[in-house]
Amino acid sequence: MILVPITYRGGIYRHNEIIDLIEDLGGYIIQKHMIAQEVVIQCFVPKDDVELIRAIGKPIAGEVTDSPLVGTEIAIVSMSLEIHHLPHPSCDIAEYVRRLGAKSNMVGMARGVGKRIAGLNDEERDVINEHDIAVYLLGNFETCIEYKMPVLLRGIDVPVVLCGGPDKDVLERIVEPKVDGYVGNVGRFMHRTKESEELTKLDEIIAEITRVLSKRREELAKDPLSVSPARLMDVIREQVPAILDVTSPTPLTVQMSGLRVKLPYDTYADVLRKTEIEDGIKIGDIADIEPSRMRDYILVRVRPFSETNMVI
Amino acid sequence: MQAIEYFEVECTEKLGGEYYKQITNDVLLDHNLLRVIHKMHVYIDPKVPIFVVVGVLKKVTTLVKVGDIANVNPQEGKLTLSISNETWLAPMLKIFWDRFGKDHVDQPDRFTVILYGVTAGAQEVEEIVIADPSKALYKDLVYALRCICPEGFRVRSENYGAEKFSFVASENTLTDAGMALVREKFALMGMTP
Repeated sequence: MILVPITYRGGIYRHNEIIDLIEDLGGYIIQKHMIAQEVVIQCFVPKDDVELIRAIGKPIAGEVTDSPLVGTEIAIVSMSLEIHHLPHPSCDIAEYVRRLGAKSNMVGMARGVGKRIAGLNDEERDVINEHDIAVYLLGNFETCIEYKMPVLLRGIDVPVVLCGGPDKDVLERIVEPKVDGYVGNVGRFMHRTKESEELTKLDEIIAEITRVLSKRREELAKDPLSVSPARLMDVIREQVPAILDVTSPTPLTVQMSGLRVKLPYDTYADVLRKTEIEDGIKIGDIADIEPSRMRDYILVRVRPFSETNMVI
Repeated sequence: MQAIEYFEVECTEKLGGEYYKQITNDVLLDHNLLRVIHKMHVYIDPKVPIFVVVGVLKKVTTLVKVGDIANVNPQEGKLTLSISNETWLAPMLKIFWDRFGKDHVDQPDRFTVILYGVTAGAQEVEEIVIADPSKALYKDLVYALRCICPEGFRVRSENYGAEKFSFVASENTLTDAGMALVREKFALMGMTP
């Protein structure tokens, strides 16, 4: 069964029917937002049943759209958290990817600014590596980008999409080591992105992120995960009741090949390891439970089939 | 940038220069500084790296008086002030407290201040100076230039006189070359530092 990410948007009235339908079809709800009279559900559903959900949602004014970024956690890497980079463009981009279903975290570097003085510390490196993809937002000068990128990419092993002021072909030429995606003409600016030209640029960033993530998905499909992170999320939600008391907007953040569990590692790592998924198979048998560098969260990395010899 | 007579951004990278022209424009507009700047030249060389801004200010002589922000209505035993602009309300109240004492100053609502039993007449109260915007100008200007400047350039030299200002920033120690650039850029505007 191939699961595809979609977003359902509709009124609150009878939306429970849609939730039941998604669960009955074997889908997973990643996030549910209630905003005034509107409900937005981000979920994974079987590919063949998307049309069925669309048809059932239509009479109650529900709308189904493809959301390729649902179920991904994206690091928006800003060179600093100063007024120079925030709120534009860092927040604009972070918010835009969020609209399309991704969970975006902004990573503000301590010393990402400048040319010679730019640096990346171990904590920043580890935090970025906990995400599915990192979007680097750089400045306007190619001299600076060329000079500092080798330092800022040191130790980063997740795919990187790089946005910068120079043209895309210039970025492709000057950046070493090469990264997975480039978006040109999006450097530092000090105004809100509201012109159609600027919004097109944001769409271009999304297209580049989607392209890189699709490539990553294809790689993952060659050696499938032992369990879908979305399913793991459901299991934890049912069997570890403490997660229901977490006030964070996404207590369980689904990633492409894992899950971030927002519970303290020391107390709950063993509980998670021993949680049974099915037929005596525990989470610890098919996934690595590691401490996250983000607060004291837990990072669950699902092992692929080639390591565990099982797929549930 | 209609309000500025001379405005140039010079950069060794063409595209980078265009972006910085936009950034400079946005920041000056946001900080409401376009009306006080007469001439401005920005020079950036990321290869060195160095960032230089030189400029000339317009004369800001207007003092803000009570009469500018409020209507003073004399009544029996009191003066009632109807506030039309709240921006300078806090410094105005402070001046009233110091001058007349807190017992004589009352603010029944947001837009009304009443002075009880003061010896000053309506005319005299209207003439009380409550703020000098040019004093805050230096702070605003330096803050705006820091916003425009590339963030990593943290070694700075800021000079501000009665009319002219210069701002040099780099991530390396500043040398005489920076000061030479200031003179050179002032000369482009037909001025001396």
